[in-house]
Amino acid sequence: MKKTIALAVSLALFSGAVWADKLDEIKKAGVLRVAAFDSNPPFGFVDPQTRQPAGLDVDVAQALAKKLGVKLELQATNPANRIPLLTANKVDLVAANFTITEERRKQVEFSVPYFATGQKFIAKKGVLKKPDDIKALRVGVDKGTTQEALLREKYPQTPVVAYDDTPLAFTALRNGNVQAITQDDAKLLALLANAPDKAKYEISPFALTREYQGIGLPRGEERLAKFVNATLQELEKTGQAKQIYDRWFGPKTKAPLPRDFKIGDPT
Amino acid sequence: MPAWLGQGLLGSEQLGWLLQGLVLTITLSAAVILTGLILGVLLGIARQQGHWPWLALPHNALRNTPLLVQVLFWYFAVGGMLPEAAKIWLNTPHVLWQWQDLSLGWPSFEFLAAWWSLSLYAMAYMAEDVRSGLNAVPRGQWEAAQAHGLRPWQVLRWIILPQAWQIARIPLLGQGLNTIKNTSLTMAIGVMELSYRSRQVDAQTLLTFQAFAVATLLYVLLNLLTQRWAQPRLEAKQ
Repeated sequence: MKKTIALAVSLALFSGAVWADKLDEIKKAGVLRVAAFDSNPPFGFVDPQTRQPAGLDVDVAQALAKKLGVKLELQATNPANRIPLLTANKVDLVAANFTITEERRKQVEFSVPYFATGQKFIAKKGVLKKPDDIKALRVGVDKGTTQEALLREKYPQTPVVAYDDTPLAFTALRNGNVQAITQDDAKLLALLANAPDKAKYEISPFALTREYQGIGLPRGEERLAKFVNATLQELEKTGQAKQIYDRWFGPKTKAPLPRDFKIGDPT
Repeated sequence: MPAWLGQGLLGSEQLGWLLQGLVLTITLSAAVILTGLILGVLLGIARQQGHWPWLALPHNALRNTPLLVQVLFWYFAVGGMLPEAAKIWLNTPHVLWQWQDLSLGWPSFEFLAAWWSLSLYAMAYMAEDVRSGLNAVPRGQWEAAQAHGLRPWQVLRWIILPQAWQIARIPLLGQGLNTIKNTSLTMAIGVMELSYRSRQVDAQTLLTFQAFAVATLLYVLLNLLTQRWAQPRLEAKQ
C-alpha cells in the first residue's frame, strides 16, 4: 500500500516536473476543470430553474472550454478555496470573481482582467454622467468607511453627509437629503435591486477606485496563460464579452450596471 | 507604549476636527437650550393651567419615546413627507451673508432637523420642571394677587412665575446639561458634532482610545464649565 502511494506521489511529481504543459494535458484529457462560485449571483450560482451552474464567470469558463474544444467541468468553490484548489492542481483555472492583487500573484498567475469593480455612486437617472458632476452634489456615505475617506480626499469641496449604514444613506437619497450615495458597486447593486422605486435611480457609469478580476491560473504555465489571454481578447473583439456582460448586468436585468470596462482596457 | 494606545498620538489635523465638532456641539446645544426653554415655559404654563387637556398626548409622546427614534423620525420620516419644492430648498446650500472670504450659510437640513427634534425633547422635560415649579407656589398666592385686582396674566407674570422660577431653575439647568449630551445622538443623521468627529478620527487613524478619550474630555469640560458658569448666577438671584 505504502509503495503504491509513494509510486503515485513520485509519478505525480515527476509528471508535474517534466511534462509540465497544462495546455497539452487539458487537450489530451478533453476536459477543462474550472473552479467557480456556486452561490454568488450573478457571478456563479446554481440556477434555481435548471439546477445548473450559471453566471458571468461560468459563461466565460464555457467560452474558454469551447475555444479549446474540450468539455467544461465546474468545481464549486468559496473565496477561501480558490488559491488552494489551483496550487493543489485540483482545477486548471479559477473563474470566481477573483480580484487581482499583488499578494495573490505570489501564489497564482492571473489573466488579463475581464471584469472590474469599484467604488461607485447611485443617483437619480441622468444626474451623474461624469466624475466632475460629483462636485455640485451633496453625497451620502457610510460613516467611518474607506469610501467616506476617499470621497473627502478626492472631492474636498463636496458636502458629505455620513449615515450609520448604506440602507439609511439610501433612504436619505430617496428623501432628497443627498443627491448621491457612494459604496462598492456590488453593495449598491444589491441595494438597488430591492428598492421599490429603483427605476428612478441608476449606478454611475464611472468609478472612484478600481479593482480588477481575472482568471486565476497555476504559476509557470505560460502557454495556458497565453491561450486564456488571447481568448479573452477575442471574446471582446467578437462582441461575445459584451453579450455575456449584458446577460447578467445589461439594461434588461434586475439590477443593471453600466459596462465601463472592456477586456484589454488599460488598468 | 501599551498596545491599546496603538501607534502615536493624534495629529493637529485630527485635533482640529474634534474642535470643529466641539464648536458645532456648542452651537447646537445653545440653540436647543434657547428654543427648548422658551417652548418649555409655555408648555409648562399651559399644562399647569389645564386649559388644553389634549396637550398631554404630544407631551407624553415626547417624553416616552427614545430620543434617537425621534431624531430619526423627524429627519427621515417627516423629512420624506415634505413637499418636493421644500425638500429641494432645504437640501441646497444658501448663503445668507457674505463678506469677502467669510460667509454665513443657512443651516443644513441635518442641523435644522437636529435642532427641531432636540428642542421638542428638551421642551417636554423643561415643561415638567416649570409645571412642578408652578405647582409648588401656594394656592393662596394666586388668590391674594387676584384680590389685589391683578388680571390673571398679571398674576402669572409678576407673582407666580418669579416664585416658580426660583424652584425650577436648578432642575432646568440639569435639563440644559442633558441637552448638551443629547446632541451626540444627532450624528445618526449626519450632524458633524463632537461624537461624529470622534468616530471619524477613529476610523481614519485607528487611534481608538485617543479619539474617544479626547471627545470624552471635551464633553466633561464643556458640561463642567457650563455648570460652573451657570449655577452661581442662577443661585445668586435668591
